[in-house]
Amino acid sequence: MAQLVGVTGLTHNPLMWRTLREGEPDDLKETARHLGEFRARVVDLAPDILVVVASDHLHMLLTSNMPAFLIGKASSMRAVHPNEERMFGLTRTTVPGAPDLARHILGTPSDSVPFDFAFSDEPWLDHSFVIPLLCLTPELDIPVVPVFTNANSPPIPSARRFAELGTLLRAAIDSAPGRDRVLIVGSGHLAHELGGPRQFLGRSPDEDFDSDALGWMAAGDLKSAIAGCSFDRLLAAGNETFQFLNFITCLSASGPRPATVAAGPETRFSALPFFWWEMG
Amino acid sequence: MLNKVMWSIDRSNANLRAYQTEPSLFLDGWERLADDPEPPYPDGGALTPEERLALETLDIGALYAMGANPFLLWQMVRSVLVPARMGIEELIPHFRAAVEPHGYPDFST
Repeated sequence: MAQLVGVTGLTHNPLMWRTLREGEPDDLKETARHLGEFRARVVDLAPDILVVVASDHLHMLLTSNMPAFLIGKASSMRAVHPNEERMFGLTRTTVPGAPDLARHILGTPSDSVPFDFAFSDEPWLDHSFVIPLLCLTPELDIPVVPVFTNANSPPIPSARRFAELGTLLRAAIDSAPGRDRVLIVGSGHLAHELGGPRQFLGRSPDEDFDSDALGWMAAGDLKSAIAGCSFDRLLAAGNETFQFLNFITCLSASGPRPATVAAGPETRFSALPFFWWEMG
Repeated sequence: MLNKVMWSIDRSNANLRAYQTEPSLFLDGWERLADDPEPPYPDGGALTPEERLALETLDIGALYAMGANPFLLWQMVRSVLVPARMGIEELIPHFRAAVEPHGYPDFST
């Protein structure tokens, strides 16, 4: 059977990535340290496949067709959209896929956690996938199963549903044929806002939420995380905070178990999340 | 339809240039796409008079108040205005001043 060798969650802030390419300012030193540490962990673990849980930012998916959860099952995927080249300095590229594991996840039966995914044979990854991949695997050479979640366009699935997604992913990986070593990578934010009155404050829009969120992950407290992530609470923390829900998927997939790393260094871009769950 | 037209403007370099050059002409063409018997995907759509006016004048506050997706609105506005008409440091307070009076409108669809 395949083996889940680790679970991680991290920021996909494209401005952070662009800034760090040009140097390492004081407010991003801790961020750079976490990124370096996480990259080294990935090298040590040597995963064969990455299952990346991220939220398309109305690039591939629009409100004309908006699935709650979608699996990409292609052997090669386009990555980076034209406006992301324009705004973030990203370069259009391709990322290898892992269609066999993707099909296995799509077909994994579960009586306790019914799940019916949408799927795409032509997924096109945006920065929510690409930034974590560039940070963890700069060569983009490890095959990826992209799990698209709707955390940007209400109505958004509940926190409980994101937790059930984690349970399903774990069951699917544990039952996948072969001996692949799989790392789950969650992509998202702590309290964060874009396009609203509190964007670009130079600090977190809700430090209380950040503190609670780091605590849930450090304690492995899935129940409190679900209770603390109602739609209204997430919106109050910032209109982009819904993407924290991807980390609830990670926490659930981990067991749940306490994260060995649960950090949120404060930066000019808000507090940036870094989570790691060791397995085994 | 607001999210769809903002997506069309921001996600295509050709559409962005057309909207920057003459918003009204671009919107005419976009709305006509929905009447095509074999429309491209994604096609266009019909805008309300209020939506049309807000897009023609790039009235950020009005678009925000009408329930435009905030992330999509920010990206589209940024693409249209930066660097053609202002720098990002000028846009940030300009955008905030436009949306702040409206609080957090429902942007569910």
